Formats: sequence, C-alpha cells, structure tokens
Amino acid sequence: MILRYDIPQTIKNKIALPGDEKIYYAVPYDIDENGKWTDNSYLVVTTSRIYVFSGEEVRKDIAISDLEQAKAEPGVGGGILTVKSHGENRVLAHYSSRHLSRYAYIARGINILISGRFEEVISNEYEKVCPHCGRVIPGTKTCPKCSGEGRFLGVFLKMASPYKKQFFGIFFLMIMAAVTTLLNPEVQKHLINNVLKDGGDMQTAFGFLGLMFLLSVGIVIVNIMKSNASARLGSRIASDLRGQLFEKYQKLPLSFINDRRPGELLNRITQDTRYISDFMADVFCNLFAVFFIFIWDIIFMLIINTKLALISFILVPVVSAVMISFRKTISRIFHLQYKKNDDVSSDLQDVISGMRVVKTYGKEEDESNRFKRVAGDFALIQKRNERFWAMFDFIVSFLMGLGIVIVVYFGGLDVFSGSMSAGELYQFITYTLLLFQYVGWLGRLPREISRLTSSLERIYDILAQDVDEERKDLKEFDIKGEITFDHATFGYKSYQPVLEDINAVIKPGEMIGIVGASGTGKSTLINLLMRLYETDDGRILVDGTDMKDISRKSYHSQLGVVLQETFLFSGTIIDNIKFSKPDATIEEIIKAAKLANAHDFITKLPDGYNTYVGEKGYTLSGGERQRIAIARAILPNPNILILDEATASLDTENEFMIQKALERLTKGKTTFAIAHRLSTLKNADRIMVIDGHHIAEIGTHAELLERKGIYYNLYNAQIQT
Amino acid sequence: MAENTLNIYEKKAEEMTRVTFITAKDVFAQTDGGFLSLDANGVHYDRVKVVRLFPFSDANRYLSIREYGNEGREIGIIEDLDAMPEDSKKAIEHQLTLSYFTPVISKIYSIKDEYGYAYFHVMTDKGECRFAINMGSNAVSKLSDTRLIIMDVDENRFEIRDVEVLTQKEKRMLDMFL
Repeated sequence: MILRYDIPQTIKNKIALPGDEKIYYAVPYDIDENGKWTDNSYLVVTTSRIYVFSGEEVRKDIAISDLEQAKAEPGVGGGILTVKSHGENRVLAHYSSRHLSRYAYIARGINILISGRFEEVISNEYEKVCPHCGRVIPGTKTCPKCSGEGRFLGVFLKMASPYKKQFFGIFFLMIMAAVTTLLNPEVQKHLINNVLKDGGDMQTAFGFLGLMFLLSVGIVIVNIMKSNASARLGSRIASDLRGQLFEKYQKLPLSFINDRRPGELLNRITQDTRYISDFMADVFCNLFAVFFIFIWDIIFMLIINTKLALISFILVPVVSAVMISFRKTISRIFHLQYKKNDDVSSDLQDVISGMRVVKTYGKEEDESNRFKRVAGDFALIQKRNERFWAMFDFIVSFLMGLGIVIVVYFGGLDVFSGSMSAGELYQFITYTLLLFQYVGWLGRLPREISRLTSSLERIYDILAQDVDEERKDLKEFDIKGEITFDHATFGYKSYQPVLEDINAVIKPGEMIGIVGASGTGKSTLINLLMRLYETDDGRILVDGTDMKDISRKSYHSQLGVVLQETFLFSGTIIDNIKFSKPDATIEEIIKAAKLANAHDFITKLPDGYNTYVGEKGYTLSGGERQRIAIARAILPNPNILILDEATASLDTENEFMIQKALERLTKGKTTFAIAHRLSTLKNADRIMVIDGHHIAEIGTHAELLERKGIYYNLYNAQIQT
Repeated sequence: MAENTLNIYEKKAEEMTRVTFITAKDVFAQTDGGFLSLDANGVHYDRVKVVRLFPFSDANRYLSIREYGNEGREIGIIEDLDAMPEDSKKAIEHQLTLSYFTPVISKIYSIKDEYGYAYFHVMTDKGECRFAINMGSNAVSKLSDTRLIIMDVDENRFEIRDVEVLTQKEKRMLDMFL
C-alpha cells in the first residue's frame, strides 16, 4: 500500500524541509470540510511537521513536537485522523473507506515520530485499485492491465514451461487442423470447375470426392486429437497448480490467510485452476489454429477476388457487430432472469427454514402471498426472455444469410463477366463463412485472455509469496516454561490493535487464569502464545529466548492446546488423538485418553478406538469431542498447556471429572486457561484480567479480591447467580 | 461486600434498560478541534459520539448520543434532530458528516463492466465520483424494492434512494446489478 504518493511540485514547494528532514508520508484524503468528495487534497507528514493541503492551500500546519497522540478512527463509510495536542483532540483529515487502512498506517507512523523515533512505517498490503489506471486489481500485487499486455505472455509461458513437449504436440495438431480446414474448399473448387462445369468424367469426380472425404475425416480426427490433448494438458496443469497452491497454503502465515476474504483462497484452488483447464480445453486448443486459418483465409480471399474480398471485409465486421450487440442484450436479460431466480429460491429457503417461526406467528397466508408475487415476477421475466431467445437464432441466421447474399450477388456478377470461375465463387463463399465463424470467436478472445491472465496472476501471487523460511540459526531446546511478555502489541487488522503493550512474566509451572469480557483479546493472547501470529511490536520470550528464534517444530511439539471449538479431522478416534504425536505407543494413547476421561466412553462405542469420526462419521456429543481434544493435547506431555474454555461445553459432572484430571496434568506445567466460569480457575496461581486491550489486573485470587476491581465484581456477580 | 456488588450490577442493569431522551434544554457545541461537546443534566462531556439508530429509514430522528470513552455508554437519545435549537443542530450535523459517509446517487453517467468489475461514474449528493464494484460478490443489496445500497471494492457505501426516479437509460444500466 502506498504511503508516500507523488505530490505535485507546487505543493512540495510549500513544505519546509530544513536540514536533513524529509517527507515521510504523503497521502490523499478524499472528503473535504463540507463532507463532499475532493480529489486534490493531501496530508503530508515530514520529520517534524504535519501539513494538510486542500489543493495548493495549506489548511493545517502542525508541529509534531506539540502532539501527544495520533489516531485513525474508523466511522461508517470512512474515518477521521485525529491528533491530541495539549489534551485536546483535533480532526486532521476525513477520508472514505478507500483510505481506511492507509490512515491506520499513517497514524502509526506519526506516533512513532511523536515518540522521537525515526523509523518509517511500510505497508505490505496490496492496493485494491490501480493508482494509474483506476482499475480494480484482482488481488494481485500489480495491476495486470498496467504491467502491460505482455504480461499475458509472461505468465502463460511460466505456466507452460514445464510442459513444453505437450505444448509443441498441440501446436503441431493445430497447424494440421488449419491446413486441412483450408484445403477442403480448394478441392471443392476443383470439383466444381473441373468436373461439374467442364463436364469431367466420373472417375475424376470420384477422385475429388474421395479426397474431400479423406480431408473431412482428417479434420475430424485432427480436431478430436487436438481437443483431447488440450483438455488433458489443461487438467494436468490445473491439478499440478492445485497441488502447489495447497502446499503453499500450509506454509503461509495465518496473517496472510486472514488478510484475504475467506472464500478467496478457496476460489484460487478451485475456480482459478478450473478456469485454466477450461481455457486450455475451450480456447487454447483453437487459439493458433484460428489465427492461422484466419490469416490464410483472408489471404486466399484476396487472391481469389480482391474486390469481393474487400466487400466482405466491410460486411463481416458490420454483421458481427450487430450479432455481438444482440448477444450483449441476451446476456443482460438472462442475467436478470438468473438474479430473479436467485431471489425466488432464497425466499423459498428463507420461509421453509423459518417455518416454525412463520407458523407460531400465524403468518402462513402473508408468506404465501409474498411468495406468489415474487414467483409471478419471475415468470413474467422468463416469458419475455424466452420469446426473445426464440427470435435470436433466426435473426443471426438471417444476418449471416444476408451477408452471403451480398457476396453471391457481386460474385455472381463476376462469374457472369468471366473474371471468376464458379468453383472459385463457391470456394470464396466457404471462406467467407469461415470468417463469420471466427470473427465472433476472436472478439471474445481478449476477454478470455484477460480472465486467464488474472487467474494465473492470482495463482502465481500465492506461489510467489515469500514464506519465512525456517532460519538455520533457530534454537531447539527443552522448554522449562518461563514466558515473558515484553511490550507485546498485536492486531489482526492494521488499524485495530487488539492487544497493546502487554507486559508480564510467567514463572515455569505457573497456572495463569485469563479472564475478561468477550472481544477483549483473551483468545488473541493465546493465538500469540500458539505462534499462529507474530507480535507487531514487542516480544514474547520463552525461557529468555525470543519466541521467533525458536524452531517452530520444536516449540509446537512442546505445546498442548485445547480450544473452545474442537476440531476433529475425518478419521478414527485413534488417528485424531495421535495427531499431536504420530509415533505414540498404544499405551501412551490409552493413558492420555484415561487422563482426559475419554477412555470409558470410547470403550462403549461399538468400534472402540477405531470409531470413525468427523463430518461423515459417528456423531459425538460436544463433551465427547472435547475429551478427545484434551487427550490429543496431553499426549505429547507438553510443558506449556493452553486451555481456551476447554471444559465449557461439558456438563457439570464431566467438567468436574476433567477438572480433576487437568489439575493433575497442569501440575509443574506452565498453563494458560481462559474461562468464563471463574470456579474453574480456583487452582490458578495467578489471574490475568484483560480489559481494553491491556492487562488490567494481574495477581492471585486473594490479591485481586482485595483490589476490588474488575475481577472482584466479576467474582461476586458469579457467586450471586 | 457482596451485597454492594450486587447493587452495582442492579444499577447497571437498570441503567442499561432505561431510555433517556435528550431534549432542547441540553446544549451541544462544536469544539475547537472539530468535535461535539455536550452539557446535559449538569454534566459536561468534552466529546460525544452520535449514532444513527435508523440510518436509512430515519436518518435525522432517533440519534443515540454516546460517551467517547467509557465503552461508549449511551447518554441519551435525540428523538428528532429538527426539534433541537439551531446551534446544537448545526454542531450535531457536523459531527454526523464526520462519522457517516454514505453518498446518495442522484444520477448515473455510465456503468462499464470489465473483467468481473463494474465501474460506475455517478453524481452524488457529495459531488461527482467514480467507483468500482465486484460483480461476483453481492455488491448491491436491496433495502426495499426500489431502494439500493451499493458497496464498492473499498467498502464505501452508496445509496440509491429510489430506482424509479432514474431515467429509463439509467435503469437499464443498473439492470445488470438488480
């Protein structure tokens, strides 16, 4: 994301840059003081000052040394950048959602300058709209349009390079297809000229007919081979890319995955790769053949009869243009129908799944009437569209026929005057028909190529992502379990910090209970401990070593996690327990299951430990799933244990049992436990209360009660109820 | 001791369920920094937030006035902005323009679709502008049969108050998205 735009020289001239000061950030703001759009306004941050420009006029000029804090406050459909100076808040700039995350970075940058440091904030987020051409960038780093049309060739070659042999094979078949297609009319010409017109004998006629037959068979065979080869190659490329993408997804940091919309990454694996195989099968297999035919078609036509050829060259585009505009209308009205159909089915689904509510409120009649209306609308549109569609084919054939009639008229005149033979006219008409056929196809080509380019770009965008390679100097050691939070700050989105400046030292073997209202960052803290994310600022130390310097594999093998929502993979119970330690012995597994209070219920299942669970398998209750998850967490005997509402979905008796088991387990292990029910934390050595992105209180149960703060209130509220 | 806490929660619960109205006697003003201050029931608030309860159906009625800090506790609700004194009204309106930005489209100059995105060129009550929407997502949602909200790729929201008022040509351009 651009944080330093090129600003006009006239504005630059008004910025004072004494000594070695420089412009840190220059970003546009798009809403003026009256709340209207503006497109020539900038906010400029230099080493010591902030300027707000409206056009060339300096609206605000503030010394950074006067400021205490800058903040990007998101609102509805936009946000404001505010600064606090001498205890008073001021609005600096107002912007639409377009610049929401940009200003979050700017605020961070200004705050760094306020604190007297001079680092520059750099954003790795991508621009959504190309700053040059204004087109939307389809989730890639650079705009596919602006980085040049040649880009297509670049990515295409990248995709094709591992399959050179297959591509050359298809290329050869395409040339063959083109040659056979173009040759056929030539033979037909001879048949007409030499046999029909000049009264040739049957033998020559059969000769030509035989040749025509062979050519037609040849065309069919070559085309089948070509389509087959293309389709096969397409699906192979797609499946290879799918594999590569999936492998990459496993390696990418979660923050990258979270930056994208949920469906988007899935789409890259499913839709973008499917589009590649579709393109290979439908478009590529004809690509060069069509070009080849097209060019030779035009050359042959010019050779046979230049005047007639020029007439058709005017005619063909005109007819094609009419046809294309017809197609556009067709696609528009059918899109409408499709949307309406969508409305009808979602309406239907709504009512049927909400049937209980509809019935309890006695609204059956209202709902039927509403549905009747929607369905009626749909029927109306459908009727209109079908009528139009029925006409479409006739109109297209009529237009093409009209074109041919004109060619035949002028060609016929030439035949009568003797400057053209009848065979040539026949050949010419065939070429004209070919031209009609392929002009439409070529008209669609830029769209298809551009779609393929963006699909490929999106795929290579992922494949080209730098994954932090496991550094060679990463440490592996047996963790004792001392955890230190050192000014740890983190947010999922650049403009929304979830945890700010967390400081705490947890002793080895200590059990820490984490409490706080929902959405305050308890789970986030745990995500950081699990190393799913890395801190934006500050560090988390494990036994005095920065977490980032410990090998992931070593760290995770010494970490046990039970989360609120348990996820079991499709597979047997034993597979699921063993997931955390694939080489565990049966004894270890049974012991872990017993500790988790899961052994007894597993033995009651008909298939025992071999019971298949997961989406299509045996349905376990929430508590049973939870117990399997606990067994999975404790199997490797980890030194750090994380329990995120681990027993929340259990009934009281089970919870008690598991609490007992956990008590034994957590002894001597550093444990972080999130709980809403404070009674489950009574064994915690210390309680950490998280509120407003910070550690609000930390201390033993008794200390916190003494303090009469948040914990005290929470505790009392719970024992009252 | 516990008794005491219970009272706190009861008070909180009572506060949560109480509906307070802010009337003409409470004074709003614009601060030097460009924010909104309020004096209500003898309490001075340096900066308050204004939240529209019905941003689409009743933009200028039922405005919730909330504290800036303190978890955004509600101070009260303004029933009708037009019933407030002129000075207060002006200050509140200024605050609303800062925190709400939903341009209303009054004229469509062109809609061009290219490779899955549609590019709009429109006139809004905030001036002329261009924006792009993703045609694959549900960028256009219906508030009613004739009222639309269009969300662009940047998540800006544009409103069309009444589709029926548009010309035939504009409606035809919009058809693709209805």
